[in-house]
Amino acid sequence: MCILCGELVINVHWTDQKNHDREYGNIVVAGESQRDRVRDRLRRVSFVNRILSFYGLDLRDWGGSKYILSDKKGSSKVVNDLGDMWQEAQKLTDNRLDPLDPGLLSHLRV
Amino acid sequence: MKNGNKCPITIVTGFLGSGKTTLLGNMLRGGLLENVSVIINEYGQVGLDHRLIRRIEERTTLLSGGCVCCNRRDDLISELLDMLNSHQSGNLPLDRVIVETTGLADPAPILFSITTHPVLTHHYSVDMVVTCLDAINGGMHLANNPESIKQVATADKIIITKTDISQHEATHHLIHHIRHINPSARVLTSANGHVSERLFDPDDSMTLPSASDILDKLEQAGSSWDSGHATNIRSMAVQFEEPLDWLAFGIWLSMLLQKHGEKIFRIKGIVDVGEDGPIVINGVQHIIHPPRHLEDWRDYEARNSQIVFIMRDIEPFQIMDSLTAFQNLIGAEPKIQEINLNPFE
Repeated sequence: MCILCGELVINVHWTDQKNHDREYGNIVVAGESQRDRVRDRLRRVSFVNRILSFYGLDLRDWGGSKYILSDKKGSSKVVNDLGDMWQEAQKLTDNRLDPLDPGLLSHLRV
Repeated sequence: MKNGNKCPITIVTGFLGSGKTTLLGNMLRGGLLENVSVIINEYGQVGLDHRLIRRIEERTTLLSGGCVCCNRRDDLISELLDMLNSHQSGNLPLDRVIVETTGLADPAPILFSITTHPVLTHHYSVDMVVTCLDAINGGMHLANNPESIKQVATADKIIITKTDISQHEATHHLIHHIRHINPSARVLTSANGHVSERLFDPDDSMTLPSASDILDKLEQAGSSWDSGHATNIRSMAVQFEEPLDWLAFGIWLSMLLQKHGEKIFRIKGIVDVGEDGPIVINGVQHIIHPPRHLEDWRDYEARNSQIVFIMRDIEPFQIMDSLTAFQNLIGAEPKIQEINLNPFE
């Protein structure tokens, strides 16, 4: 349950599974892996931003539980995970996001 | 229930008349399957033990904005929930569920239904997809029916049926063709509905032959398959020497599947992320099974990442180019130890 908006989060996206397992797999010590989790989120945001900058989009971590995706025209969306994020990003860019696009790849190699 | 607290589900698929029901019937009669419930999608001609079998009518809900593989199979969901109910109230011993699909069914919606349902996802896990292929007509089915190719591509195990009434050479040829489409699957043969080895060997579904293993097998096989069929289906096996960054890999794969999921039939492999154990990934189209984080490297001799891709209308070099560029996000170019763009020719 997200305590900010009351939304029930029922699915763990597969990219979050590793931390989820570590946290809930065995005996839970409260907050034990929080530092890793937050560090991973921040790294993820910075990686994703290098991709999104090619399309004029930007992602921010929001309180360690959600992400905010925004474009330069002032639209923004709250997303739960990467699966959600790509979907919304496609909507904001008219389906232009393509990981096989040579233009994007050369942008990433710089 | 075995396997922790989740009941394993095996999906049995195969083209019309490929011998799915015969195989299941034999296994049930032979007492190989205790405490197994079977869900069947169509009316078969072979009498199976009715106590064990539940038949369902196919009801599919198309989710708004969903693609073909992201349909929800309501029929299956309600049946699985019923079973769970009887099991938990003590009326039904349940070690495994087998779902037999219709000949034209696509296994992806079944995976999608189970992995995204809020209750089912915590009580069931799909442990393997078994595809039956007819030794006599299999080649024809693969050539004429895209459904059949998809069934082979999504399989963890492929059973060549009817080897008792087919030519040995034809079977050999078919196995070669199958390896071309899906290098990661294990191929078994069955004569007259009797499969040559135990189908549900524990944990075996996740093991992956190494790229060099596959090559060795091919050299032994010695003959070359005429690849005139299904030329737009490509498969490749990649081996990386150094650990991949899991975050960058997750970003890349989720973006790739979001855009091209329909064209990527299968991704399967073990990924070295620089930790004590590898991560096992297994994906069918848009759907990725929850990745399993293994404790250590005991089961694998070489410590490296090995990934198999099976795709349609995408060239292997595009995938590699993209994957290496994304790994570049962390500032390091991954070293590719071995890559087989066309491992089966």
